[in-house]
Amino acid sequence: MTNELEALNTIFTEFYYWVTVVLMFLIHVGFCMYEVGASRYKHHQHTLMKNTMLIPLVTVTWFLFGWWIYWAFPTGPGIAPSIITESTALITGGDYGGNTLANPMTSEFMAINLNDKLMGVFWAAFLLFSWTAASIVSGAIIERITTFAFGVLAIAIGSVFWSIDAAWGWHFDGWMLKILGYHDAYASGVIHAIAGGFALGVLMVLGPRIGKFSSSGEPRNIGPRNPWLVTVGLFLIYTGFWGFYAACNVPIYDLGPEYGMEGVTFWTATNIYLTPTTLSGITMNFLMSLSGGLLAGYVIAKGDPFWTYSSGLAGIICASAGNDLYHPIQAMVIGMIGVVIAYKLHYWVERKFKIDDAVGAVAVHGYAGFVGLVICGFVLNGYPSSGYSVGAMWDGSTYATINPLGQFLGACVMFIVLGLIPGYIIAKVLNGMGKLRIPREVEIAGLDYEMMESAKEDEKAVSSATR
Amino acid sequence: MATVTNWIEHLSSDEVAGSIYPGAGSSETALVILCAVIWIGWHVLTAKSESDELSRLARKKYGANDHKSNITDW
Repeated sequence: MTNELEALNTIFTEFYYWVTVVLMFLIHVGFCMYEVGASRYKHHQHTLMKNTMLIPLVTVTWFLFGWWIYWAFPTGPGIAPSIITESTALITGGDYGGNTLANPMTSEFMAINLNDKLMGVFWAAFLLFSWTAASIVSGAIIERITTFAFGVLAIAIGSVFWSIDAAWGWHFDGWMLKILGYHDAYASGVIHAIAGGFALGVLMVLGPRIGKFSSSGEPRNIGPRNPWLVTVGLFLIYTGFWGFYAACNVPIYDLGPEYGMEGVTFWTATNIYLTPTTLSGITMNFLMSLSGGLLAGYVIAKGDPFWTYSSGLAGIICASAGNDLYHPIQAMVIGMIGVVIAYKLHYWVERKFKIDDAVGAVAVHGYAGFVGLVICGFVLNGYPSSGYSVGAMWDGSTYATINPLGQFLGACVMFIVLGLIPGYIIAKVLNGMGKLRIPREVEIAGLDYEMMESAKEDEKAVSSATR
Repeated sequence: MATVTNWIEHLSSDEVAGSIYPGAGSSETALVILCAVIWIGWHVLTAKSESDELSRLARKKYGANDHKSNITDW
């Protein structure tokens, strides 16, 4: 870079994404605390290790192939033509927007490169979304899954399925924008609905924790064992979500030349689809949807802290699809609606299908995300799904506008096609191999039993020591 | 192995080579293969050790409250 202004712009963007990565790390810290707080004492350490080991497992696979998938699959393949290559084939070449640059075997940008300041921070921001997707699944299945099975499932959701859904519906060139008019600015569907659906698919095979249901099938409450860890964990997730929202934006971009408007210069922040929004505006919507979720959760859960905190998160998740365009009060009301539906659905599914979702992850992420996508289709009906709207594709067709049916179908793609079905199938295979669930005796004794027993003599000596 | 041996020469060339890590341009495929082997090996190793540990613990048939005797200091 030889131009000072260009250098400033580039390095600002690099630093901006780097900060979002640091903030999003708090989401993972929060998930770890939350899950340990929700688990019983005899499973604490395994619960923590399971979620911790997700970090290297997803990171390495994201480096090897997850990031490549995102850039290769916007066309389906075979569903809609790319505006970059004018073909429906996998996108395997080109500059940014082509996936050659994301191939660690051939790309000089998948490492420190003096001529590139952005690949690493983009890669990392998306990776932190991957961790979030896998962590959502992690909470639902605590206390009875093997670490091996969870690792396989974490890689599947974190480095394969969410990456495909992001290519399809969270990419300026994605086929879901063009055909369905899909809009999901802050990932109601592409992170939350898919991870919730995936968790539900796994839970259907995994089964409930021992003791969760009485012999007559009535569900029993297994409340959080450490309310403070749960509280701090969820507040850290809220905090990390600031980074999540910022990372979903492009901080500074000139849309004039990007849209081919001659002589027009318009510098703005954009969402992931490169349509304009502002960091300032989405900050209001974030806080108002959080507030809507908390308000509704407090009422519907009758002041239960566990559900009230989770409802704050569900409120944000529900409004996220359209929070780049909503009015703050719309965001608040949408958050409230999502929370009521998610809460009611959680208990109905639990009772009806004997699904034991230990932390309400399917409800908070899956149902709230799904509902948020559907509501977005009505509230934003008629908005363009992309700035590249007219004659941009090789066959002269245009991007569809945002519409209720497209959003509903998009929600089904996220929750069912790429979430529930793959989760169910992979869990079935793992179960068939005898690798999914820990032995019944171990679940009763506690996953940490041996760890605790091996340290017992030392612990005894220390606890009774006087000098 | 060193890709850069003189920063002044490197940065003053007409076209600055961006990649500066050791083995740039020749080692990437081998590094990716090494990474994949480590990753698969880790899974094989930990899957086996977890299976062994779970089987051993399952054979002991501890009760639901036995773990409490291992907690010596609240």
